[in-house]
Amino acid sequence: MTAHIHTPTPSQPLLSVADLAVSFDNGAGPRIQAVAGVSLTIHPQQTLAVVGESGCGKSVTAMTTMQLIPCPPGRVERGTILFGGRDLLSLSEREMLKIRGGEIAMIFQEPMTSLNPVYSIGDQILEAIFLHQKVAADEAVEIALKALDEVGIYQPIESRLKRELVALRADVDAGKASVDAMRELERTLPERVRGAKMQLLSDYPHRYSGGMRQRVMIAMALACQPTLLLADEPTTALDVTIQAQILELLSDLQRRRGMGIMLITHNLGVVAENADVACVMYAGRVVEYATVEELFERPLHPYTRGLFRSIPGVRDTRSRLTTVEDVVDNPAEFRLLPGCQNGIIPWWPFLPQEHRPQLAPGREPYALHEIEPNRWVGVWRTPYIESHPSRRADLTTLRSKSAVGSAGASL
Amino acid sequence: MATYLIRRLLLMIPTVLGITLMVFLIVALAPGGIGAGLAVQGGQVSDTSKVAQMQAYMEDRYGLNDPVVVQYGRWIARVCPVRFGTTSLESPSGDRIAVPRELPELPMQWAFPAPATFEVTFTPQSGDALIEEFRTLQRDAEGRRRTYVGSVRAFKDALADHVRVLGDPWTARLDPKGGADPTNFRDLPLGGGQPTPVPADAAATWAKVNAAAAQMHQAWSLAEEARQRATIAFAARPFPPAGVEVIRDVVSIDSPDFGVAFSRNRPVWDLIKTALPVTMLINLIAFPIIYLVAVPTGVLASIRRGGVADIASGFLFLLLYSVPVVLAGVFAIGFLANNQYLGWFPVSGLHDSAQATMTFLPYTDPSSVWHRGWLLDTVWHLALPVLCLVYGGFAVLSKQTRASMLDNFNADYVRTARAKGVPRKDIVISHVLRNSLLPLITMFVGIFPAMLGGSVVVERIFTIPGMGSLVIEAINLRDRELILANTFMISSVSLLALLLADILYALCDPRVAYE
Repeated sequence: MTAHIHTPTPSQPLLSVADLAVSFDNGAGPRIQAVAGVSLTIHPQQTLAVVGESGCGKSVTAMTTMQLIPCPPGRVERGTILFGGRDLLSLSEREMLKIRGGEIAMIFQEPMTSLNPVYSIGDQILEAIFLHQKVAADEAVEIALKALDEVGIYQPIESRLKRELVALRADVDAGKASVDAMRELERTLPERVRGAKMQLLSDYPHRYSGGMRQRVMIAMALACQPTLLLADEPTTALDVTIQAQILELLSDLQRRRGMGIMLITHNLGVVAENADVACVMYAGRVVEYATVEELFERPLHPYTRGLFRSIPGVRDTRSRLTTVEDVVDNPAEFRLLPGCQNGIIPWWPFLPQEHRPQLAPGREPYALHEIEPNRWVGVWRTPYIESHPSRRADLTTLRSKSAVGSAGASL
Repeated sequence: MATYLIRRLLLMIPTVLGITLMVFLIVALAPGGIGAGLAVQGGQVSDTSKVAQMQAYMEDRYGLNDPVVVQYGRWIARVCPVRFGTTSLESPSGDRIAVPRELPELPMQWAFPAPATFEVTFTPQSGDALIEEFRTLQRDAEGRRRTYVGSVRAFKDALADHVRVLGDPWTARLDPKGGADPTNFRDLPLGGGQPTPVPADAAATWAKVNAAAAQMHQAWSLAEEARQRATIAFAARPFPPAGVEVIRDVVSIDSPDFGVAFSRNRPVWDLIKTALPVTMLINLIAFPIIYLVAVPTGVLASIRRGGVADIASGFLFLLLYSVPVVLAGVFAIGFLANNQYLGWFPVSGLHDSAQATMTFLPYTDPSSVWHRGWLLDTVWHLALPVLCLVYGGFAVLSKQTRASMLDNFNADYVRTARAKGVPRKDIVISHVLRNSLLPLITMFVGIFPAMLGGSVVVERIFTIPGMGSLVIEAINLRDRELILANTFMISSVSLLALLLADILYALCDPRVAYE
């Protein structure tokens, strides 16, 4: 970690999730508590990374925000999701239709299957545009072309044609080709580029690679100028170079549009490079909430420490690497928080009974507490915590993306 | 795509031929063999020897005595659009007239030497007179050929009688039906010999054999002369050649000739021309009904999975599926058509007997009597057969629709569409249903041949003169031409349906391209 350039912006939060709990029907068994009290806040231009293992409730949080959880079997038990001053949970399906795709867009993990195979790329983008914008057909095509342009899908076509032109110019200089041919190419170049672009609109998704399809997904999501983008593991199915390109593209678009992004991932490298604020989740709860710099510099929750320590270094010669369990199974790790003497012990579902503090009465044993300014940790809800209510998890931090060096690589 | 279509169409030829060969072989292997139905018809003639001669004529005319493969090959040669050998002629009425056939060889020439061969020469007339002359000569040649074939049979019968008088060991060489194949009696001592003593009656029977041989030789000479005359007249071309002649009397191209159904003595094509549209009509009505009922039901069942519509439609369709058509048809006739019960529908047939006098549309005449007209009459007659054809088809198709809808509801692109803000109704129709159509097209491939098979039963039950009835009749009578032509038409139609399904698939799924 090198430069720490915090740009606090006194803005209204874009999205504010408070104490959200979602459970699922499990047939004869007890209901599965997928999300059990998640709070987080996203500001304009901010990237909030939601990190955690599979099944910790990251995707359910995002899907609930979009109201995409099928009910039944799903059920929102409590909480609020404030977006633009309205609680999304109280909106009707008709009102949600306007928000989905229009104000909040979402991209998914599986670009290979996330596009409908029987419709052309153009049709799928235009569908989104027509749903949310009152435009004529030719305007919609222009919007779609622009969206595809923004995600850089035409770069190969343009660069091929430009290379052709450069080669032809060289030939003309060498006297091997006529000036007329060059003029002709120069004149028709924009036309040909546009032709190639229009061609792409009528192409079907199966002809494109995963990275290209994810670009189409992003173009589709961004065509309606949403203010918030929920990116549910957008790069998990892609290889590392494409992953970097897609993330670079997202932060570039974010800069230009001032969009808020919820970046769901389980890759800490992605968090380090792309996020402003990190929200670490475990078992449906937020265990730690902090700016990315502070989280990486000084993780407070033993689980977060476990995650960091389990990343092998390049020169690691140990035969057995550290696991998350090595950290969280050590009760001493739970006594390191400031205020430990007051009974501020990090919440952990598998902490042995004798190491748990005396809980405050009530069903919920967990609370997200601001341990020190701008640092939230999931702790046991003791009477002390109960009597010292903290601020909601809310960080306005933005950092200059260019300032982040090789944080991801060093992990 | 064009290349693919051409390849598919070309591949259909061997497929159809393979199917017809299989069916033909099965018929030939059945007891009685090909043309078994004809033997019964011979019974109308009283005299037993006349029956035998009639049978011999029939066998000669249709080549029933030839090996199965030869009969099939001859059929292929006629159906194949490229013809070799002497070009057939086409009479003004559209019949194909083939060159007069060679006579069957005289039997037992070692004992009864054939009369000297001869060559008739004469100059046929020209113009309209030639047509008249050829017709006469042709009729003449056919009549004499018939006499000759009958005399050969009479000769063989006389020989068999003689052999029976001679007794053992000769009788053992008779064929199971008691006929004598002359080639089995090469070493028969002429006029007597073994066993000793020669039975007293042998001389008399031998005399009869000799008399039959003499008659046979006379008939041969007459028939041969008539044949040669007819051939010469044929060569003068009283009619234009059939089809397009590529090389005169060597190669020509002609439309398939399905021959004459010998059970009805009518060109097979005439029979098919009236029967195929009936079957196609029934199926083309039944198919949309099945799809229009089953697909929306399946969609509805998948939307409200586990709901009343889902369970009720599943139960009802499965119930219908398990009722055999034979039973349903009989019940439908018995309860819905029988005047003792409801009597709502006609019992059988496709039209009312008074259809010729009907107007097309319903009308009320001046005395305010309502007439239903031809169209409604046909619909009324078709109601029960179509009902019997469709009710069993709902189950499979609606279950398939439901299953593939449910599959697609969980697809990632549906989640994408929802995230885009597409309303649920549009998701169901333009995303889920659109993708669920693909397996339904494939289902078409499986259902169509089964439907044609099912319509055989339905047509039988309701006495509808379609392909089904024709097939059953052809099989019962072992009518070679009819069986082969029916098989040919049904398999061609099925294969074309399969091709249509493949084309539809390519149109509906952009991932499928035939190149």
